[in-house]
Amino acid sequence: MSSVGYLILAIAILVILLATFIISFVAYRRTPLPKGCEHLKMDDQKCSSCGHSECSFYKGEEKE
Amino acid sequence: MSIFISFILAILSSMLIDNVVLSRFYGICPFLGVSKKVKSSLGMGIAVVFVIVIATVICWPLYTYVLVPAGIAFMDTVAYILVIASLVQLVGLFIKKKSPALYESLGIYLPLITTNCAVLGVAQSNTDQGLTFLNALANGVGTSIGFLLIIVTFSCVRTRLESANTPKAFKGLPIALITAAIMAIAFMGLQGLFSGIKL
Amino acid sequence: MSREKGYTKKNFLKGLIAENPLFVSILGTCPALATTKSIEAALGMGLLFTVVLICSNILVSLLRKLISEEIRTPAYIVIIATFVTMVKMMTNAFLPELYSTLGVFISLIVVNCIVLGRAEAYASKNNVFDSLIDALGMGIGYTVALLIMAFFREVLGSGMITFGTIFTFIPKFSIPILKCVKDGVVIYDYSIQMFQNPAGAFIVFGLILAVIAFVKNRKAELKAYQEKQEKLKKAEAARLAAAAKANETSGGDK
Repeated sequence: MSSVGYLILAIAILVILLATFIISFVAYRRTPLPKGCEHLKMDDQKCSSCGHSECSFYKGEEKE
Repeated sequence: MSIFISFILAILSSMLIDNVVLSRFYGICPFLGVSKKVKSSLGMGIAVVFVIVIATVICWPLYTYVLVPAGIAFMDTVAYILVIASLVQLVGLFIKKKSPALYESLGIYLPLITTNCAVLGVAQSNTDQGLTFLNALANGVGTSIGFLLIIVTFSCVRTRLESANTPKAFKGLPIALITAAIMAIAFMGLQGLFSGIKL
Repeated sequence: MSREKGYTKKNFLKGLIAENPLFVSILGTCPALATTKSIEAALGMGLLFTVVLICSNILVSLLRKLISEEIRTPAYIVIIATFVTMVKMMTNAFLPELYSTLGVFISLIVVNCIVLGRAEAYASKNNVFDSLIDALGMGIGYTVALLIMAFFREVLGSGMITFGTIFTFIPKFSIPILKCVKDGVVIYDYSIQMFQNPAGAFIVFGLILAVIAFVKNRKAELKAYQEKQEKLKKAEAARLAAAAKANETSGGDK
């Protein structure tokens, strides 16, 4: 394959990765929690591993 | 057979001698944050092992067979973070749908793994050092098991520290960091562990 | 948006002291421990970090109305990763010594919680100027914190402060403190090697956090004591007044 072909392939793969990320992210957010896991929280009641409430992931967990 | 032995040795050395937390400083955030209870540290550790091994298996071929031939090897960081982030979301999605029991123990730690530097650090250093696939895999497995080992050990120490009579200013993180320093000194003693073994 | 006077100054200073990312929020600890062997490396790390933070904050703030709530995090991660790649290439081209010293930790700015945290918490809600000031404050606060750690580690660990090994455009020179070498002969050496090792990093960080906790505790205790004294004084005054009143009335009876 020519170098231009490789470049197009690589960019396509990167775009696919990005798309996968966005789709899976949205899907993960939208999937309801399994039964019995609705009130799961970090043991410390506060996610200290990623700082205080600024981590978006933590806020997401809290909302759900 | 010699390949197998060197594989095992590479795992052991990246697990003990070059321990991920205590000598390479990857993943300090979860090491300090999620280590207050043994149960949560076990959950975090297992989730990290899972993601690091899969990420290594995907990232190395992606770099070697796609990014390098295309001449965009400088895009490696972007590619790796995309792989890791989508991997975390997909694994989380799968667990949410298929196994509520697994979600109960790992689910809340999964989103935190995207920002765990151990995962990106391993993927990046594998290709930066130009390791072969087998060595990269050994590095991934060894690093992640080393992380699990150290975070569980550390959480055991910390539960004992809670009830210890520490000076007021040292309560919480400062004494935990001093404990980590003592553990790092202990792990320094493992250097040269395999220097006598010839392959 | 109505803004109080001096908001910009407050916004800038909060990153330095009240919300210092490393010492108060305990964020970004990995590079703080790994790159503080020497003051120069810490300065380089702090500068690269500040540049990435400023760029990402400005771009996120510019795009804050375009990016929908749902895909915020993926978009921010991609923006940050792009800037990190750019910074990495620049460092590799212009400061190769810094690049090889920091190694993989330049790439790890992507997963640094401070950058993502500032993008989510501040830049996505505020205008470009405020985001820039916020990034400047946070970046300089982080750099200063790294420099404090590196100062202790370099002085205790190697005995002297050396300049010119990483930033090669300045002449190489070293300030002897605990160790003095003249013409290749060691005159005295009181350095403690351990502080250059990983264990030393943990100890220095732990001790700094302990000092901060000590100062904070002392302040809180002093305040509590003063409040208690004031309350006692008030109670005493009230009691005295009541007694005087009672005395008066009883005196009036007699």
